[in-house]
Amino acid sequence: MIDAADLALLSEGLRSAMAEARSAAGLDAALAELGWRELLEESPDEAVALVFGLLGETGAHAPVLNDVLLHAMKRPLGGVVALREDGLAFGRPGEPSPADLDPALGLCRVAWEPLTDEALAAGRRALGLQIVGAGRTMLALAREHALARTQFGRPVAAFQAVRHRLAETLVALEGAQAALEHATDPMTAKLGKALAGRAGLTAMRHCQQVLAGIGFTAEHRFHLFARRVLVLDDLLGSASALTREIGESLEASRIVPRLVDL
Amino acid sequence: MHVDEFRTGLRAWLDEHDLRPVHDGSLDGHMAQLSRVRRALFDAGWMRWGWPEHAGGLGGPVILRAVLGEEVVARDLAEPGIYTLIEVLAPTLIRYASPELLGFVPKLLAGEETWCQGFSEPGTGSDLASLSTRAVRDGDAWVIDGQKVWTSLAQYARRCVLLTRTGGPGHRGISAFLVDMDSPGITVRPIETMHGRDEFAEVFFDGVRVPAARMLGAEGQGWEIAMSILPDERSSCFWQRIAYLYNRLDRLLAEAPAASPRQLGEAFLDLHAIRCRSRLTQHRRTRGDRLGAETSVDKVLLATAEQRLFDTARDLLPGAVEYGDSPWREEYLYSRAATIYGGTAEIQRNIIAKRLLSLGNE
Repeated sequence: MIDAADLALLSEGLRSAMAEARSAAGLDAALAELGWRELLEESPDEAVALVFGLLGETGAHAPVLNDVLLHAMKRPLGGVVALREDGLAFGRPGEPSPADLDPALGLCRVAWEPLTDEALAAGRRALGLQIVGAGRTMLALAREHALARTQFGRPVAAFQAVRHRLAETLVALEGAQAALEHATDPMTAKLGKALAGRAGLTAMRHCQQVLAGIGFTAEHRFHLFARRVLVLDDLLGSASALTREIGESLEASRIVPRLVDL
Repeated sequence: MHVDEFRTGLRAWLDEHDLRPVHDGSLDGHMAQLSRVRRALFDAGWMRWGWPEHAGGLGGPVILRAVLGEEVVARDLAEPGIYTLIEVLAPTLIRYASPELLGFVPKLLAGEETWCQGFSEPGTGSDLASLSTRAVRDGDAWVIDGQKVWTSLAQYARRCVLLTRTGGPGHRGISAFLVDMDSPGITVRPIETMHGRDEFAEVFFDGVRVPAARMLGAEGQGWEIAMSILPDERSSCFWQRIAYLYNRLDRLLAEAPAASPRQLGEAFLDLHAIRCRSRLTQHRRTRGDRLGAETSVDKVLLATAEQRLFDTARDLLPGAVEYGDSPWREEYLYSRAATIYGGTAEIQRNIIAKRLLSLGNE
């Protein structure tokens, strides 16, 4: 366990490293410098919540999901792990891949090897937290725009239809966040990732609508987060696929698990 | 008393004491069952945990009430809506009543009395602060004239926690009373509802004299009193509602001949999200945090989950809502009110937009 003051300090350090990073490889090195791997070994839950939440919020990328998966499989950190059966992985050092929706992720191909249940759970939790972080930034961008943009003589934030879209976004993100805070095993991690993916897509839909024209340009940062969320939703199980899987397991067991108690 | 210890003890006790309902499903039947369950749980002590000792309780964290509610609802021992009413009535008394009035609380907990909550009025729904039922001082009493609506269980109630206007317009002109429902001048008219269980009523006040000692808190404190129930409503009440919805998803899985994985998954995800969120909210409350506008998020998640679950049930059990006398009909129809009662879904989104997202005024 890390104490609150250390955590706040570390959080600041990470945030500025992410803001200053020029490349995935650069940020990967900077995170290693800041003690990411030691932190992951020592307090994995806190390390992942902190780093992936911030990656999501800042929109920065470093291929550290590999470390989360390797750690869960009790293998040495620093390598690359395939995230899909077609061998897609976050490359190290992570050269941009212009053919993909989100080139900054530096996707590459390696040999596919099925993930263990623990690795899948850890990876889903990490990606879920990153999606929620990205959703929070989309919400912040839309909020800022709604307050600044004036039409019919008042800020568009004064229109109830706009306000309700942003409120709905926050509700979705908070529901996913709560589920991710309770993601402690394969089933709860699966639910957390599904809720995060759903919330990310909800945030994308509502925030883009509120941002309207400017949100459709590549001159505004919104599109970076939208691209990121679409890819992160797909990796290790999309909201759509996981929801179906969860329903199938309910149908097979005919039991509704109470996964969280007071 | 620790939560786990309480839960284990309670479960063992409930396994030994058969409190399962034996009634015809009518509202009278539900009310009799509720009193029976309360009486038994009070006498065995379970109903007293989580309530302060000076009000007849045994002390301990409030969260114990949610644990009790979950067990009662999960075993279908009482109808969840009417069971949770005390969660928004007793705390008001405990915080604002004189020591003399506090003596009524154990009667409520033990199921000896039913109470109701006189808040909404025909002209006052979402805009509660505009209420117009008038209380005028006359010697050592107040004389009340006006009308309340959507007053749950008024036809069974011995007493009413009533909001009235004693001063000028707005929040500061409101005062609260504990009124005996057998006072001369009170007329109750149950409202027929679309789901067929007439638990709501209109209550008319025609020159009703209430002793001054029955005022809760001070003159003008009514709005604060009304708002003070929010943390209770949004923690223990919600947890019980969530437990009820899980129970209904169990039932749906047992009854649905051919399921639709995608829909079941969606319904379960909604329940899981509100269950996790509500757990965090209750632990915040236990730590002493003040619950406020952020509980509007819980409210929206819960109402959405409830309606999605019953929509799914209607899809997967074709005809259950429309034909014959399946209990799904009543519950499906009642779920339509989830986005209306306790502050509409629109009001919750307004609160989220203004207070949580700081979007300024409309």
